[in-house]
Amino acid sequence: MLTPIRGFAALSGAARVALAVLAAIAIVAAFAPLVAPYDPAAQPDIVGAKNLPPSAQHPFGTDPYSRDVLSRVIYGARLSLAIGFLATMVSLTLGVAYGAVAGYAGGFVDALMMRILDALLAIPRLLLLIAILAAWTRLSVGALVLFLGLTGWFGLSRIVRGQVLALTEAEFITSARALGASRRRILARHLLPNLISPIAVAATLGVAHVIVLEVGLSYLGIGVAQPEASWGNIIHDGSDQVATLWWMSLFPGLLMVLTVMMLNIVGESLRDAYDRR
Amino acid sequence: MTDVKTTTEPLLSIRDLRTYFHMGSVTARSVDGVSFDVGAGETVGIVGESGCGKSVTALSILRLIQPPGRIEPGSVIAFEGKDLVTLGDEEIRNVRGNRISMIFQEPMSALNPVFTVGDQVAEVARIHAGVSRKEAWNRAVEALSLTGIPAPGDRAKQYPHQLSGGMRQRVLIAMALMMKPALVIADEPTTALDVTIQAQILDLLVGLQKQFGTSILMITHDLGVIAETTSRVIVMYAGEIVEQAAVDELFAKPHHPYTEGLMFAMPHIGRDQERLNVIPGTVPAPTAWPVGCRFRERCPYSWDLCEREHPPLYQIGAGHISRCHLAIEPERRNHPHPPLVVQEGAAA
Repeated sequence: MLTPIRGFAALSGAARVALAVLAAIAIVAAFAPLVAPYDPAAQPDIVGAKNLPPSAQHPFGTDPYSRDVLSRVIYGARLSLAIGFLATMVSLTLGVAYGAVAGYAGGFVDALMMRILDALLAIPRLLLLIAILAAWTRLSVGALVLFLGLTGWFGLSRIVRGQVLALTEAEFITSARALGASRRRILARHLLPNLISPIAVAATLGVAHVIVLEVGLSYLGIGVAQPEASWGNIIHDGSDQVATLWWMSLFPGLLMVLTVMMLNIVGESLRDAYDRR
Repeated sequence: MTDVKTTTEPLLSIRDLRTYFHMGSVTARSVDGVSFDVGAGETVGIVGESGCGKSVTALSILRLIQPPGRIEPGSVIAFEGKDLVTLGDEEIRNVRGNRISMIFQEPMSALNPVFTVGDQVAEVARIHAGVSRKEAWNRAVEALSLTGIPAPGDRAKQYPHQLSGGMRQRVLIAMALMMKPALVIADEPTTALDVTIQAQILDLLVGLQKQFGTSILMITHDLGVIAETTSRVIVMYAGEIVEQAAVDELFAKPHHPYTEGLMFAMPHIGRDQERLNVIPGTVPAPTAWPVGCRFRERCPYSWDLCEREHPPLYQIGAGHISRCHLAIEPERRNHPHPPLVVQEGAAA
């Protein structure tokens, strides 16, 4: 098993490239006001400059409100990445806590918690989110992050529980008990640090998953609300004329695919690095 | 030299230890009424094959048995004036790693893979001596150097996977001896090591024991380890003690047919043989021990008494006891027969 730092050092060449691509996207997103050529919400000429195809002036074209799509995609990266990252933080916290408690408590508590989890896992996440989000006409980004996080921890908590169960059988845990370590010390010093590797993998893949979900929900019109830009709602804006306004779904779509692909490459390389020990 | 053990209180005194595993409707009686003493500074060996209850006995002493296992009421483990069986959670934690410590079989899996070995040795001092991080680290390096690890300061900063098996076992020994415990339980400490390293580790243990006056309970299936390190031997079979004697006595005059079988199964240099001798059959299941003698089916001397009556521990000589009816009918030893398992096998 490896610590995260040594894990990143053990990443494959492809994963390092992927990490560099992700870093580039993140930097562009972070410095959006400096990088974007236009204000993403500005509608300079709603009659004359709307629905323009890609050109030197507007590399990604403009939308039906005459807004610059490139600028919106850059600002959208900001929101889409932030939502993916923050929502994953929420699900990580919940999933690790729930799984660790279930696995370490064992017996009846574990059985009960796992049956509850089975019930939660039986609900399709997308349908659940649609049901929740459709109840609000206008949802803040914070609430969206919260709901994405609240519905994203079920699978992870199972992984964590399994790891904890396997670890409590490990001889070094018995050894720690034989040396007089308390339950709290064993949980904090011996169990959690050994969970970091599977958690790092799950988190990387989790961010990718949430990004796709956000795009999907925004495309359905119940994710990030206007005039805020996210990759999903840019696609949504052009969705009633997909055939003519092809640039509106192609560019944000490509970026989403690129980001998710890079995250998956990193995640899988991390998993390989950890499994190799 | 006179026998000091009779006059002084033993360090550890186990009486009628029973550790059962309750699994639904069946109960595995893994340790079934074991009593023995370990004197101060003494090395006692427990020998037996897999499943005889020797490791469960070791784990019971430190109360490391997990459900569904349980130390049955009525069992007594007296140590330094306390009964470990009834001790509170916090009190037993103060005994573990401090007054009694344990060395495990697999030095790789007994170490936490994500911390340096120095960290892990230091943790013992952090738990029991309540010293600062810095002081704990210094003590850890000191303990590591005691176990003969070269450049202990550098080694302490390494992770378990960077060390060899023998080095890891030395780390475990450093952890076990950190608090200068009164008793060290070594559960198969050399089984996972190369033969050349085994001897080094045993020498190290014996040397450190002499230096600190620690008692050792050596648990093993290897009679060679027993001969090399212990002064008194307990032979376990099917959850009970079947024979106990001073080490020289046991090797010279084994009384129980099981002990005899163990001796005979050892390879001997000079004895011209193509195959090793084996004891026919296997240990009965701990969920259903036979009524009479538990070794009866594998024994070449058994007769009807062995089926009817569970043998008590007979006194054979000074400090020598054996759970075998041959003690009352010794002449039967001259007329061995094929064991019952072999006879049944032939008939079937």
